Amino acid sequence: MTTKCWDTRARNRAERLARAASFTAGRIVSSEHIVALLEAVIEPGDRVCIEGNNQKQADFLARSLVKTDPARVRELHLVQSVLALPEHIDLIERGQVSLIDFSFSGPQANRLARLVESGKITIGAIHTYLELFARYFVDLTPRVALIAAQAADRDGNLYTGPNTEDTPAIVEATAFKGGIVIAQVNEIVDKLPRVDIPADWVNFVIQAPTPHYIEPLFTRDPALITEIQVLMGMIAIKGLYAEYGITRLNHGIGFDTAAIELLLPTYAADLGLKGKICTHWALNPHPTLIPAIEAGFVESVHSFGSEVGMERYTAARPDIFFVGQDGSMRSNRAFCQAAGHYACDLFIGSTLQIDLQGNSSTATKGRIAGFGGAPNMGADARGRRHASPAWLRAGREGRGNIAMPRGQKLVVQIVETFREHMQPTFVERLDAWDLAATANMELPPVMIYGEDLTHIITEEGIANLLMCTTPQEREQAIRGVAGYTPVGMARDLRMVANLRDRGIIRRPEDLGIRKRDATRDLLAARSIKDLVHISGGLYDPPKQFRNW
Amino acid sequence: MNGRRISYFEASARMRLSGLVDAGSFSEFCPPEMRQTSPHLAQLGAPQAFDDGVVVGRASLAGHAVLIAAQEGRFIGGSVGEVHGAKICGLLDKAMVERPAAVLLLVDSGGVRLHEANAGLIAISEIMRAVLQVQAAGIPVFALVGGSCGAFGGMGIVTRLCAEVVMSEQGRLGLSGPEVIETVKGVEEFDSRDRALVWRITGGKLRRALGDATRLVDDLIPAFRAAAADLIERYQTHPLTPAHLDTLLDEQARLAARSERFASARDGLEIWQAAAFADASQVPELTVEEFNLQLGEPA
Repeated sequence: MTTKCWDTRARNRAERLARAASFTAGRIVSSEHIVALLEAVIEPGDRVCIEGNNQKQADFLARSLVKTDPARVRELHLVQSVLALPEHIDLIERGQVSLIDFSFSGPQANRLARLVESGKITIGAIHTYLELFARYFVDLTPRVALIAAQAADRDGNLYTGPNTEDTPAIVEATAFKGGIVIAQVNEIVDKLPRVDIPADWVNFVIQAPTPHYIEPLFTRDPALITEIQVLMGMIAIKGLYAEYGITRLNHGIGFDTAAIELLLPTYAADLGLKGKICTHWALNPHPTLIPAIEAGFVESVHSFGSEVGMERYTAARPDIFFVGQDGSMRSNRAFCQAAGHYACDLFIGSTLQIDLQGNSSTATKGRIAGFGGAPNMGADARGRRHASPAWLRAGREGRGNIAMPRGQKLVVQIVETFREHMQPTFVERLDAWDLAATANMELPPVMIYGEDLTHIITEEGIANLLMCTTPQEREQAIRGVAGYTPVGMARDLRMVANLRDRGIIRRPEDLGIRKRDATRDLLAARSIKDLVHISGGLYDPPKQFRNW
Repeated sequence: MNGRRISYFEASARMRLSGLVDAGSFSEFCPPEMRQTSPHLAQLGAPQAFDDGVVVGRASLAGHAVLIAAQEGRFIGGSVGEVHGAKICGLLDKAMVERPAAVLLLVDSGGVRLHEANAGLIAISEIMRAVLQVQAAGIPVFALVGGSCGAFGGMGIVTRLCAEVVMSEQGRLGLSGPEVIETVKGVEEFDSRDRALVWRITGGKLRRALGDATRLVDDLIPAFRAAAADLIERYQTHPLTPAHLDTLLDEQARLAARSERFASARDGLEIWQAAAFADASQVPELTVEEFNLQLGEPA
């Protein structure tokens, strides 16, 4: 009788570690051995995660992987949230990758699209962050994870610093399923400020020749906020936040939402809304939130990642941010995505295109950019079972007086009717359809589905899609705030007037907002330097945002 | 409004003007409805403005009569053309008759309007002469510099002729603008795209430390108003007297010494160091209040 072997993965891990033993002593590996190490521990067909987050990048390990022998390191299946570095794509071009599953590819979207069209790579699926993390624990568990941390001690414990981001999710899935974890760190120290990842989840630590790259992705210069964005911010605050009593929320990145953040201590305070709106956030430490925090508007902020330059500020505001006993912030993308999905009553963000059903997409032809986290933020949480006044009201508006009371999340798109180069935001047909056809995708890449979208804010006012009773009304509500775009010009004047009478479309003047009041003088900060001063000198903006 | 702070830098000429003087006190000379536009721009088929980019008129400020001009930086960089210049000159001539407490020039200009060449150059020299004439008659002229175009070229010279120069940190003052210097002398001489460097060399803080500006105020219209009102009060109690030759010679000697002392300086930082700031590298970060304190001025 043959006995079934139940630990093939563990045995395989031991074999891989044995192959690496010749040039490693303990967990600390010299950076000159990195290529040999990767060739020793990676086997053909491995599922590999090169930690590429929204911000933090395991860039040294990615560069090293590109230097490996394509005859040995091949047929890889990349499973990582972001394909941000040129090296990620280089690896595909070198023929070392056969399949990719990812979430977002912003900077490499063009190159990726070309590789897909030429058949050089197959995409398994494009996920949201939370979805991909979930699959790490089901059917996309990495065999080898290449991660980035701020520091390690000599035992191999890791300190991630404020940019913890995806690291815990990746390491947990890899380390507990027979995988190998290799960490690049900026420095090796005797004692860490705190342990974010324990040493026995980590196999190898390498001090990288240069610190890992972090993108300041969430910094918006207040100097670039336009008066139209100020107007839309006023509409959001008065017509939505105040109306529904939004206390728990998530903001997308963009100048529209940055304007809202900067209007809280001024316009919203004048409306008597301090303490009544915007108290609890799932949000990265946006520099533009500093004035609202300093004005006492904000009680709590949990973050997906950190932001370059905000380290000292977040450390000095532990009542607001999640800060370790060592005094530095900790972020966690997986938990914050869950928080944004289940514990927030409102998501508001911007997009490139909205169709007549309210589907929105940032996809454009020739670019496979992916999703990131927005679809999880911008979707009704159908598993949610706790009530709040805002959620219940949205539910009543959306579902009418049906027998079973149930709430709904407020999902808002805030857009100007025309985006740059006078491209209309409102379209009959999303470019996502063309992209899906050329890239052989099963689904057109829709960021937020129309059925989840509850409101659209433009400079023309708010359309409340919850209160529309028929698809025709919904279409006219969208056309009614689409301004002078072809979609807007094709509105049915009588129906739009009727929708306005019923409060489904509300113009700025219906909300008591005078357009001429929408000036930049309402912004609590008008420049990066203002933010530095308001932070008491704690915010240290990156060089590209300084003019001093 | 709660926390509402009206930026001087971002405001239009008319917004600055109306925020600066006593409410409702302004009456405009040659208003836009007279459509005194530039004949030169018309010949070139270039866009024109009904006020030719400058607003002039009479107002009161903290109860004192003033004559006031505000250049509109958003119209061809606040440049001085024939009509534009004649309006400022006419205002200064009127001061000789009306004898206001002060003449205020809200400068926001790159200098002469190149489209109008000689007419613009002549206009600038007429303005310079008029400023000196008005001040010789005991009426102080204040230049307020805090717009996006700063005070450059001929308007930089006009600004330095004024009895007082009130600047914000955002304001810039110089003769040749950074782009001009870069074009003529090369990017090694002055990288006009290095915004931080441009401000460290031409900006309000450096000009105040050098004494080219006599006040540094926050980038707020009320802050400029407060400074102007305070200066008017001072000239009411200590009227402007024509300078003696000795005073002028002393001033020239001071400027010559300054020019020599900083001849090799490549960056505002070196001048702040010499001006005995505690930590020169921190000067750009200082608030106006902190800056003025370190400069030894009461806030």
